[in-house]
Amino acid sequence: MKTNKRKGILMLVLILMVSLLISACGGNSGGNGEAVQSNSPANDAKKTTSDNTLEEATLKMVLIGSKPTDYDEIFSEMNKLLKEKINTTIETEFLDWSDWSSKYPLKFAANDDFDLVFTANWAFYHNQASNGGFYELTDELLQTYTPMTWKATPKVSWDQAKIKGKLYMIPNNNQEFTDKVLMIREDLRKKYNLELVNSPETFAVYAKTIARNEKGMSGFAAAAGGGYKWHELDNVLLEQQNEWRLVDPNMPFAFKLDDPKGTVFNVYDTPEFEKLLVYYKDLADNGVWSKNVVNSKNDVWQDMKAKKAASLKGNLGTLGFQIVEARRDLPDVEMTIADLTPNQKKTAAISTQNGMAIHATSKQVERSLMVIDLLQNDKQIHDLTMYGIEGKHYLSLGDDKYNPGPSRDKYTGFSNWGWNSDLNRTEASYPKEASDIESTWNDKTYHYPLESFVFDDKNVRNELASIGNVMLRFGVPLEYGLIPDLDKGRDELINQLNVAGLDKIQSELQSQVDAFLTNNK
Amino acid sequence: MKRSGFWSDLVKYRTLLLMLLPAVLFFIVFAYIPMTGVVLAFKQYTYDGGIFGSPWNGLDNFRFFFESGQAWQVTRNTALYNIAFIIVNNVLQIAVAILLFEVANKWFRKIFQTMLFLPYFISWVVVGAIAYNLFSYDFGMINVVLTTFGMDKIDIYNTAEYWPVLLVIVSAWKAVGYGSIMYLAAITGIDTEMYEAAEIDGANVFQRIFKITLPNLYPTIIILVLLAIGNIFRGDFGMFYNMVGNNGLLFANTDVIDTFVFRALTSSNDIGMSSAAGFYQSVLGFVTILFANYAVRKYDKDRALF
Repeated sequence: MKTNKRKGILMLVLILMVSLLISACGGNSGGNGEAVQSNSPANDAKKTTSDNTLEEATLKMVLIGSKPTDYDEIFSEMNKLLKEKINTTIETEFLDWSDWSSKYPLKFAANDDFDLVFTANWAFYHNQASNGGFYELTDELLQTYTPMTWKATPKVSWDQAKIKGKLYMIPNNNQEFTDKVLMIREDLRKKYNLELVNSPETFAVYAKTIARNEKGMSGFAAAAGGGYKWHELDNVLLEQQNEWRLVDPNMPFAFKLDDPKGTVFNVYDTPEFEKLLVYYKDLADNGVWSKNVVNSKNDVWQDMKAKKAASLKGNLGTLGFQIVEARRDLPDVEMTIADLTPNQKKTAAISTQNGMAIHATSKQVERSLMVIDLLQNDKQIHDLTMYGIEGKHYLSLGDDKYNPGPSRDKYTGFSNWGWNSDLNRTEASYPKEASDIESTWNDKTYHYPLESFVFDDKNVRNELASIGNVMLRFGVPLEYGLIPDLDKGRDELINQLNVAGLDKIQSELQSQVDAFLTNNK
Repeated sequence: MKRSGFWSDLVKYRTLLLMLLPAVLFFIVFAYIPMTGVVLAFKQYTYDGGIFGSPWNGLDNFRFFFESGQAWQVTRNTALYNIAFIIVNNVLQIAVAILLFEVANKWFRKIFQTMLFLPYFISWVVVGAIAYNLFSYDFGMINVVLTTFGMDKIDIYNTAEYWPVLLVIVSAWKAVGYGSIMYLAAITGIDTEMYEAAEIDGANVFQRIFKITLPNLYPTIIILVLLAIGNIFRGDFGMFYNMVGNNGLLFANTDVIDTFVFRALTSSNDIGMSSAAGFYQSVLGFVTILFANYAVRKYDKDRALF
């Protein structure tokens, strides 16, 4: 009896203690939640000051990436220029690469005090815009406070950045292509007297010849152990070759680039995919990639440099710089860039790839806009913030090229891409092959109606999680030619996808696409 | 009799209670308070709502796991692997501990013990890399050796049937050293007089092991096994993920709840759905340990955990 009572009291004390602690936590997060809801973008934007009477202002800017070593030197220089031009100084906070994706939403959730912020379609643009984290930018505001940007940025870029007809970011103004190309060993191609590699067929001959004749070298550098749900070459041989576009790499739906209706279809269920499986199987059986490719997590570029692989897929820009590196480190090999789909339509990254936005509760909307205008379009400020100090971090070469300076490494690695623009310089050693391809692509760039469509997975999260698992489990081994019977493997894949709820996602996706197309007519 | 109240007891046993305090605090802070996060399993997690402010969504978070069509398979794999690990590892650990105990040469014993213990300190990431270099089809050591003897290569990474055996071996290799030390400590605690008496009575080594050492080890064995059973529905993520990775061909035989959930949810980043899976594992584990403990109680009341 006595012990029971004592136990009871002890339990009570314990429960009280725990509940106290918990409610403390709960109170905290609850408070944050309310703060966000009060973030109405109804901030007054009327404190317009005419240019000749600009008051002194200090703005806070949030960028992604680690703080560069020479940040103080360069940004104090920039502040001098900004002070002179628009009587403004900027303080910058950096969200480190290691944890930016958890800190970034928190900056908004906690309603921290900041004015300018980097954003991008890969960095919460849609998410924060729909949560009310950004200040809505009207045409009028832009024309008044960012006149240079307004003039320089093409209309299509502005349109791409709009969400349900409203604009929340000033997109960067820089053409980037999403098409992928291959890096191949030109010296080996010549050694075996092979045709120029410029199509899927010539590539297959090249890769098989190398795999057969060069000991210890695979034809294509693939490391499929990283959780990517497609074959490495699918971007090129499935999407670019057929002029399709995957809506999202986490589900097997694509649409035709030139389809005005935007009909989405299951990629695995097309004759094109069936044909490609045969193509891949042939490569796999000829040892173009390792039998254990799905367990490999190798750094493919290091494999290429170590002469363990004869080709590599990548972005044009990335491969361009890797060729520069190879020329410096490996004088005995000759690498070049091959475009396997030279005649197909080329697609550009949409403008929201990088950009700057203004915090919904900023009290300095106009001034923030003026800063972005200068960052993008003032040659002096743009050069300074993009490349650092002339002679130290970069050596300017004419108006549009540069060579890296001695302290180049001390000013790099953060998201100053937010204000990429026509004033960007290219590195002088950037290989000619790459810039040649880029200039031919410029004429073939194709803008399609669904360019800025983003799928909202809210209603189909459960199905999507299962679909991803099925793609990884049945799709990837099938594409890498590890399953002997292609037809059986494909049937199994499609069956499992149906079990996992593919139809539900498809109809949800199609209705979102239809709505998007009607809204953006 | 004088009635001693709660407060007078508190004063009376203050020293003992003070000594208990760190352990109690530890469990409150690291086990009981985080446990309230289990509400996430029933919520649609949003950044601004946080753990307690997010809206409820009933059992929606559990739908993904049970409607995937894989729930039974991965649950079965998890349980079977853990049962195999518990049996094989414990038997080997006990055997090694007894052998080490019986080895007279102290110098040899120390070296042997250190060598066995070493794998315990190797991270699964490194073990995964070592395994890849052993088993790879093109350059793996096993296949190189096989080809030099003129035999056919074996394609380990594309053959699911090998993996249950491989994983049990690797797990044993890594765990034997650590566990054997625990058992060795228990054996060292056995009264040596019993051995002396047995020797005088003419018992040989095997009789001593089966009549003295093993019976005296039972309490330790039962406690360790019971503790392990509580985690029977938690796959060793580090092990499975680093050994198997994203190789879909092996999943039928190697996928456990933890790897399945990890793969499904890394792209969607849904905290609620991951919590639901964790909750499912905890409930299963809780039920299992209740049953196991009940069984032990039936058999021998003093040996049960509670």
